Amino acid sequence: MFVKGVGMTKFDYSQKPWWQFAFEAGLEALEDARLKIKDIDAIVFTSISSCTDPKQEHQTHKISLLSELFKINCPIIETPSVCAGGGVAMWTACHLKGFKNILVVAGEKVVNSISEDTTDKILSAAERIFEQTEGMLFPVQNALLWQEYVKRFGATSDDLALIAFKNHQNAALNPKAYYFKRPVSLEEIKNSPIVASPLRMMDCALSVNGGAAAVISEEKTDIEIIASAFATDYLLTFNRKEFWHFAASKRAAQMAYQEAKIKPQDIQVVEVHDAFTSVELFSYEDLGFAPEGRGAFLIREGIVNLGGKLPVNPSGGLKAKGHPISVTGLAQFYEIVNQLRNRCQERQVKPVPQIGLCHNVGGTGGSAVVHILRRLS
Amino acid sequence: MMQYFYCPKCKETWPYPIEKCPHCFEKIQREEQRKKIKVLSVCKVQIPTFLHEKTPYFVLLLEDEKGHRWVQKSEKEYKVGDEFLLEKAKDKKNSVVLWRIKYDFYQAIEKIFDLLSIDVLADFKILILPTLETPVHPYFKENTSPEFLSALLEFLFQKGVKKENIKVLGQSFNQFDIGACAQKSQLLSVCQKFGVLPLDVSQGEFVLKENLEIFKDVFDSNLILNLSMLKQSRIQSLENLLKLIKKENYLSQEYLSSKEEIFKKLLEILPPVLTLGQADVVQRKDKKHFILDLLLGSFNVLNLERVFFEISFPNEIPPFLKEIDLKEIEIVGRKIPEVQVIAFSL
Repeated sequence: MFVKGVGMTKFDYSQKPWWQFAFEAGLEALEDARLKIKDIDAIVFTSISSCTDPKQEHQTHKISLLSELFKINCPIIETPSVCAGGGVAMWTACHLKGFKNILVVAGEKVVNSISEDTTDKILSAAERIFEQTEGMLFPVQNALLWQEYVKRFGATSDDLALIAFKNHQNAALNPKAYYFKRPVSLEEIKNSPIVASPLRMMDCALSVNGGAAAVISEEKTDIEIIASAFATDYLLTFNRKEFWHFAASKRAAQMAYQEAKIKPQDIQVVEVHDAFTSVELFSYEDLGFAPEGRGAFLIREGIVNLGGKLPVNPSGGLKAKGHPISVTGLAQFYEIVNQLRNRCQERQVKPVPQIGLCHNVGGTGGSAVVHILRRLS
Repeated sequence: MMQYFYCPKCKETWPYPIEKCPHCFEKIQREEQRKKIKVLSVCKVQIPTFLHEKTPYFVLLLEDEKGHRWVQKSEKEYKVGDEFLLEKAKDKKNSVVLWRIKYDFYQAIEKIFDLLSIDVLADFKILILPTLETPVHPYFKENTSPEFLSALLEFLFQKGVKKENIKVLGQSFNQFDIGACAQKSQLLSVCQKFGVLPLDVSQGEFVLKENLEIFKDVFDSNLILNLSMLKQSRIQSLENLLKLIKKENYLSQEYLSSKEEIFKKLLEILPPVLTLGQADVVQRKDKKHFILDLLLGSFNVLNLERVFFEISFPNEIPPFLKEIDLKEIEIVGRKIPEVQVIAFSL
């Protein structure tokens, strides 16, 4: 499959309905693809908004609302897969047969109430009976996982601070990121309050509202999707055999490299699912960019910085661009496509990369999707 | 401590009580519990959420001898490598056991009996008094749930108790027919499935004790189990026990004494009753529900209700329970701060 166009809204706390974020991003992707809605013969959509909130819009028949907004009667498939929703929607679109142009779109308004309410909504992506009743929130899961990683390989909280710092620096250059033009100092990161030991507030991604979209096609364009891989794992984090990294990410990456017939060393720009800075660190290893236990060296030596050999999260990542749950996977796609097309201005990776990778995770590693894109010369 | 289920053929394990193995369709079995548990990691949590309003608290990552891992909230700080121990009740008569159900009433029942050191012998005569108030489906959370009664009967049969020695009791004090309540609540079908006798107390014999006419079998049983469906609106465990009084006698006593006086007198007359308070999903006063996922057990029904109200409705403790000093109650299994969910508005 090939990419025709991409679109994305500004990530922020604006209180538009979820469908407006999706609609705005969808229109931008259509304009970017130089297509009209009549040219689209299928839509794949993802969102968790409103279905988790009976007091607000309370709409689960979203595909029908999209039909009405876009004035279209083609098949519309919804793929709710929490934080991996965008990636899973793209994977679904890549594996659909017989459709010429597919619009893949996501929109979320998850932050619309007090923070306890928002946290609880997002927790619908995790396990309630065995874990949440026992105090397992996402930061706790990730803190325990990180502790296991540290026991085995000995990385430090300073490594995580460097990751947060890098992503905030990048986001400051991204007009659609929440932290655009608002860089955060390393001291602020290191002194932020601990939320779940040893993870600090500045180790956690920022939940925001937003939308993103892409138009993919069987017709050849300048950007080819050379791999689309998807793997899952158990919902109960510590019931997994390996509980110090995300085995699903590793499996999805291995499948993707095999499909693309390339090696990790061939990748030139990456968007990693940094829901927590610790996830970014061990994802360097799961994605094959560093051997097991050596991920920290990539951040210590600046390899993953914007000017480094392998820039990771030039958009600012979930950490500082923001994480509107299902939208994230498509926002990563938006960034990589624009990087390959040399459209990213101040945060543009130089030399302009030819191959980029998107890594999108659901929950605490319960699902992972990897896409690899190549710019055709 | 965490119950696992396994396929005897494939050796795969699950924490979820599934019926059959998806690989070979073999019937899944209950795994034997491991006693030695160690603390793998500890996380101190500082963010309040709906289910955990009070911070800080600790989340422990635990591992048993077989390598099963799970998490548990703790008010006590442990160190990595510590052994995690579960202490039995010292004051069997008054202790309250708290246990998380986690889709498995059987284990929760087993743990309550274990922590209260209750031996059930094969020749025991047992009376079971479920909450049976209204003819409604189980999802209303008015009556004892059929899953709970099923698990209890399975547990008793496992102990060798004969079905002819078990009676499931009910009596209506309101306009509803007890047969209709038993049928709609699905408790009747559980009794039929297990071949256990459902009994309308009003049709039985009674003995007079201090102005109260009490169901005669109460004094001929080895174990009385009060299965109360805990609620915000009433002290359900005590309301259940009233059903052991003859209806006409109870209604006349209501004119002469306050409900509290009847409760007090009844508790003095009755032999020890083990109350098992069901609080998996709890009904609030407005009839809406919230998740608590707890089973409470105690021979002291007042202590059990006091603990229940402290867990979920600390600002609305019924006056009858207020005089009970929480500090005087030994609580085992779990501690109140670990399981406390203040009922939030939906």
